[in-house]
Amino acid sequence: MKKTVDVSIPIGPMHPCWKEPIRLKCETIGERVLRTEVELGYMKKGIERIMRGRPWQEVMFLAERICGICSVIHNMVFIEAMEGISGIAVPPRAAYLRVVVNELDRMESHILANFSYCYTIEHETLAMYLLNVREIVLDQLERITGSRINTAYMIPGGVRFDITEEDAAALLAGLARVEEDVERYTRMFATSYLIALRSRGVGTMTREKAIEAHAVGPTGRASNVPECDLRLQHPTYQKLGFTPVCRTEGDNFARNMVRFDEVMQSISLIRQCIGQLPEGPIRGGGACTAGEITYQGEAPRGELTYYIKSDEYGRIIDITVRTPSIMNIEACTHHMINDVTSVADVTSTFISSDPCVACTER
Amino acid sequence: MSLLQKLKNRVRSKSIHVCFVDVGSCNGCDIEVLACLAPRYDIEQYGIYVHNNPREADILLVMGAVTPQWVDKLVAIWEKIPEPKAAIAIGNCPISGCVYNRRDSYIDPPAAKHIPIAAQVPGCPPRPTEILAAILSLAPTIFENYEEKKR
Amino acid sequence: MSESIIWYLREFLRTEWIRKFLLAKTDPLVTPPYFKDYPTLTGKECTACYQCMMICPAPGAIAVLRHDDGWRPEIYPGHCIRCGLCVEACPEDVLQSGRVLEAQHRDRTGFRATFHLSIDREICMRCGNCCISCPVGREGEPDGAVLKIEKGGVQILNSDLCTGCKTCEVNCPNRGIRVARVVEGVQEAAA
Ligand code: SF4
Ligand code: SF4
Ligand code: SF4
Repeated sequence: MKKTVDVSIPIGPMHPCWKEPIRLKCETIGERVLRTEVELGYMKKGIERIMRGRPWQEVMFLAERICGICSVIHNMVFIEAMEGISGIAVPPRAAYLRVVVNELDRMESHILANFSYCYTIEHETLAMYLLNVREIVLDQLERITGSRINTAYMIPGGVRFDITEEDAAALLAGLARVEEDVERYTRMFATSYLIALRSRGVGTMTREKAIEAHAVGPTGRASNVPECDLRLQHPTYQKLGFTPVCRTEGDNFARNMVRFDEVMQSISLIRQCIGQLPEGPIRGGGACTAGEITYQGEAPRGELTYYIKSDEYGRIIDITVRTPSIMNIEACTHHMINDVTSVADVTSTFISSDPCVACTER
Repeated sequence: MSLLQKLKNRVRSKSIHVCFVDVGSCNGCDIEVLACLAPRYDIEQYGIYVHNNPREADILLVMGAVTPQWVDKLVAIWEKIPEPKAAIAIGNCPISGCVYNRRDSYIDPPAAKHIPIAAQVPGCPPRPTEILAAILSLAPTIFENYEEKKR
Repeated sequence: MSESIIWYLREFLRTEWIRKFLLAKTDPLVTPPYFKDYPTLTGKECTACYQCMMICPAPGAIAVLRHDDGWRPEIYPGHCIRCGLCVEACPEDVLQSGRVLEAQHRDRTGFRATFHLSIDREICMRCGNCCISCPVGREGEPDGAVLKIEKGGVQILNSDLCTGCKTCEVNCPNRGIRVARVVEGVQEAAA
């Protein structure tokens, strides 16, 4: 059958479901959507160009502001890359505190992604529940670092603030509340008939397709690609004993469930960190020097790569950032949104892959 | 002041529709605006509804440091909003360009160059409470006696 | 389907939910004490060492200004990103924000900044703008200067006097002179 396109429907750049400007062009026959094409370029600020010639204390803040949702991991990967270049060792206490803050940020980001999905499929009750739980997580982040978003917590050779006994106790109490709530919401999500109608079997991506499109993060792990979790290669996570969450279905439902499960996993990782927190200093000092490195870390959305070249005073000569959403948006438009039944499924499938436009375009 | 005007003032200050547009931010401010929806802050109890539709909005929240793509589109969105209207700049980005306002960047701040900005909420990002306070303090004054002022 | 309805019923029949539904109240909109707000003055005396300005990552966020009764740093909301680095960098505890100062005293942390000058001899055209613009050692004896044109080129006399203000870099027409602000996060061992 010859496929002719009836009409090309644009979605975006301003759309109630999109938090950030991006445009999808859907080619439709009747109700069915055959193909989509993504149009980027609304958010290009040229952050990598601004970064050149600047020392770490300025680039750190620019790196954080590549993406406000997963700001901690940008900070962490940039700082660890600079440490790799300059041979700066991190005190063990600081390494554990970094994991605590990073996991809090991951929880916050995953809950926000699931909120967006529930909001997109118009399940507002669950969406509001999730948004309220996220506030508790942000409170803990604020308690440790002093800000809710864009925390600026890590510096070369350590972290900025230590955690006191009371803070640790309050953190664990907050986590207990989050755990109880998220567990309930996970079951609500998993057993709900209406959510299953909108999510199960929609936007399916097989393992082969996921590997071909280089899908990363929860999007890849929902399609049974557990090896894409780069926390497996991080020394502190290796010490904590870490196995990635993984599902086999590869549909919208699986992607959200992976994120729910990772929130629970993050809670247990933070508990482990607080339990094993070694005594000692939190800053080791050390100046940044010249060198070149490619360093990767696991952002809430997947693999994040920094290539950095610096001069003898630690100023950046060249920097390239590859963010996870680039791969996920491509995987989503090519392999998930293929012959879906309606335009409503396009938005929900796109949101389920947790796209972040700010970091895609930088 | 006519009775009708009084009624209008009252209704307008109790039902504010908000539309937000992200013109090149780091999306830190976007999610703080979203956090205002959370039951903890509960923006709807003050009669503020976030619809993200310029055609039915009263207040436009501008976030981000105006990238070249948005220079003309921001004005187009502003023109689509029916009178009376107001724009609030959320975060440092539309006020000063934040950390992006350096040599070599593509942005074109401040947003006030492109559309009239009625109020500013500084911070990177501002807390949801600050955003709420700004909307609430602006709304009654800007919409008061709109018909009489126009004449 | 039935399972899902049971879940919703169980969700809405929890005593906590019913209590919240009947006694709904939004949380008080308070700012917690640990929030890093805009830095405020503590009232201690500022020595105009400019460490705060040198570390600030946001353009135009802070300026140390001379008033009738001495120097004082001023923070500009709309530019300041509330990172708190200036609070940590100030050796005199002039600024404070949230719990930053408290944590700094408790953990004995701080920043150590050094400044380095590098001159690209190929680009430099020996105009001397940098030497004239440098604010260090202007009124004092000429030995106190950082830069000087000598022997047909710019010579760095006292690089340890440099305060990292980048005035020379800004005034150089070719970007031939560059200032590196090297900052280390340090912690003293617990006493
Ligand atoms: S003001 Fe700060 S948090 Fe807000 S969008 Fe700009 S960089 Fe992001
Ligand atoms: S808090 Fe940060 S951005 Fe604000 S003035 Fe201090 S150093 Fe600059
Ligand atoms: S660092 Fe402190 S003492 Fe030095 S100029 Fe700034 S406020 Fe004044």
